[in-house]
Amino acid sequence: MNGFPLTVPAGYEVGGWTVERPLGAGAFGSVYAARRTGGHCGGGGGGGGDLPARAALKFLPTGTHTPRQLRHLRDLADREVDLLRRLRSPRLIRLYETLTVDDPAHPELDGATVLVLEEAERPLQSLLSGAAPPSAGPALLVQICEGLHQLHTAGWVHGDLKPGNVLLMKDGTVRLGDFSTASELEGTHAYAAGFATPDYTPPELLWSEVGDRGTRIRPSADVWAFGVLAHTVLTGASPLPGGTPTARRDAALRYARGEEELRLSPGLPDVWRGIVADCLSRTHEERAAHDATTVLRRVREAAAGRMPRRRRPGRRLVPLLAASLAGLTAAGLGLYALGDRQDGTDVATGYERCAPGYVCFFSETGGQGRMCDWENDDREWFDGDTVCDWARDEGPRSVFNNGTADPRGLVHVALFAAKDLKDDLGCVRQGGRRDLALRLPIASHTWSKTCEESVAL
Amino acid sequence: MYSIIVVPAPAAASGSQVRLAPGERLHFGRAAPRTATARHTAATPHTAGAPRHLAIPHPGVSRTAGEIGATASYWTLSNFSATSTYVVENPEGAGEHIKIAPGRLDAPVPFEFSRVVLPAGGDLLDFSVWAPRHDYLERAHPACACASTSTSACVCVCAGDGGGDGEPTTLAFPLDRTKRYFLVLAALCESRLRGAPHAPLPTVDRIVERLRPLWPAVNRASVQWNIDYLAVKLRLKPGPDTADAGPRLNGKKETLVSLALRFDLVHEDDLVTLTALPAPAPLTEAR
Repeated sequence: MNGFPLTVPAGYEVGGWTVERPLGAGAFGSVYAARRTGGHCGGGGGGGGDLPARAALKFLPTGTHTPRQLRHLRDLADREVDLLRRLRSPRLIRLYETLTVDDPAHPELDGATVLVLEEAERPLQSLLSGAAPPSAGPALLVQICEGLHQLHTAGWVHGDLKPGNVLLMKDGTVRLGDFSTASELEGTHAYAAGFATPDYTPPELLWSEVGDRGTRIRPSADVWAFGVLAHTVLTGASPLPGGTPTARRDAALRYARGEEELRLSPGLPDVWRGIVADCLSRTHEERAAHDATTVLRRVREAAAGRMPRRRRPGRRLVPLLAASLAGLTAAGLGLYALGDRQDGTDVATGYERCAPGYVCFFSETGGQGRMCDWENDDREWFDGDTVCDWARDEGPRSVFNNGTADPRGLVHVALFAAKDLKDDLGCVRQGGRRDLALRLPIASHTWSKTCEESVAL
Repeated sequence: MYSIIVVPAPAAASGSQVRLAPGERLHFGRAAPRTATARHTAATPHTAGAPRHLAIPHPGVSRTAGEIGATASYWTLSNFSATSTYVVENPEGAGEHIKIAPGRLDAPVPFEFSRVVLPAGGDLLDFSVWAPRHDYLERAHPACACASTSTSACVCVCAGDGGGDGEPTTLAFPLDRTKRYFLVLAALCESRLRGAPHAPLPTVDRIVERLRPLWPAVNRASVQWNIDYLAVKLRLKPGPDTADAGPRLNGKKETLVSLALRFDLVHEDDLVTLTALPAPAPLTEAR
């Protein structure tokens, strides 16, 4: 393995950890798998708490005897330690402790900073080298976006979000890692570390002006990077045309200058197109409307197979999520797990796909198969905003009315066999979910205050 | 988001520079073509389609002499003349130049600095073109050793993930260590790199003295020019507009040095490039 900033031999001991094998090299440090072999006698201390049996040790060449005394490496190490010491949340890689190598016999290692981190299985990058996009892509994107949301809510910008910095854990969950480029917001801006990955850099930061403290960066830069990452995960290709990073950078500049339109891959599923396009808005100003909170809500909907859509006037959307985010801002990241929805790596298949506030119809019994869902009334199922094609020939086999409280009491759903709410078929009460006895040819529905269930239903 | 800068001959006020973004074109000649906008449109916002115009008011120059096309890292030159060959010189290239024959369209020019020479009757007219967005291969960390000895351009960014780990994270300030601007930057940073973090910055005269053994033709103007160019190359935010050049230049020097030190654009080892000269202190090889 060439290109390791620091080479650490197997069996090397530092602060109660024994190095086993190299895992990979980040941009600025080398990462090794290690097992815990000694008591707690760390040189630096740090995160403390319960130490696991295994960890990933990230060696940053900050020592006085390393080949070069590079102060930007010190800065990058400080950024990472600073962030990880202060933030602990479910989607960010966990820091257990920090150590400083004290080993005059190895001058190249002496003084190096060692971050003792949660051991990951592999980077997301490794999942993208296959021929087909990973099937777990949407579920992974939800978690990546959660990580971004946690960072932004805590007032940090990642600055280098890309597949190489997203880590997959043994249990299939995702963590954001490598925060050496992260910076804390001061008002609306943070100051970037001066390092970035061109393929994931928004156009306004390519060749941006440099002030006394470096380049200014805003959270919208991470949103752009998320758009590139989502497109790459879902289609296997960058959203910008070109065979090299330079060609893609030039394409990004032409796009930003309004000379070219964004041409997303035809392979990008419909439910994701709007999200990716908004994340890749041309300018910071246009992109600012799509902050991590908004994007996360839409990404969750898209991953559940729902087309994100506008709110229906009169009915409120998913108050649950909004409330949990408000709580988060107020009480810090510690509370986040309470409001966080459980999201494994599997895309949901059953009734649970149906979001609060929606009425959902399924092509199979038990909430299986394809799903059409509505938050609003629809006077014509096979035309207009939402088209439920599969229900045209054979009606749905199961239904779930996941309606939530509504100021006007519109919580039940009345079904009709013809468009424009004609030929009443009966109704599904709030919370009702079951198989339909007959394949009813449903063609329109409306939310209703009252409900008289019919025999057919 | 400009990538190419055209500097008209008297190269005076920075306001007369024309900045081109990738994809933009600049027509030059004695008169603007009908579609072109007025001369020196540097301050006016870009309007797609219509090429901008650089007037070269000399009777020996064609009305439509040629056109410059900007890309991100290089530029192209079209020679609309029926008879004149244009020459593009690399002023730092020891006589290196390319010839653009009459009628040649979109010939790519690879130099970071160029002087475009147009024959006009008995005169030779020229203007300059800068391409500050050249990219350089980023070396992995161990290869950072190249800084002190190699003659090739090298950015020591220590991007260790050049392998299969996806796109590397790179430093946003690529510099060519063989260019004179790098010598000037090294001379500017020298005292602070040698362990006097609060040393006052050297004056332009002091830099001239320091560099003369290595660069015999150096003078105040060329050092000044390189400082101005570094500010463009490193994209320094322009300071408040003042007519008084003195303090403003000092601010520019300070910003350059603090940026260079913050991001290790110049290392202690780079001072070796200055040691062909009688160094103020003997330098010991760190490695």
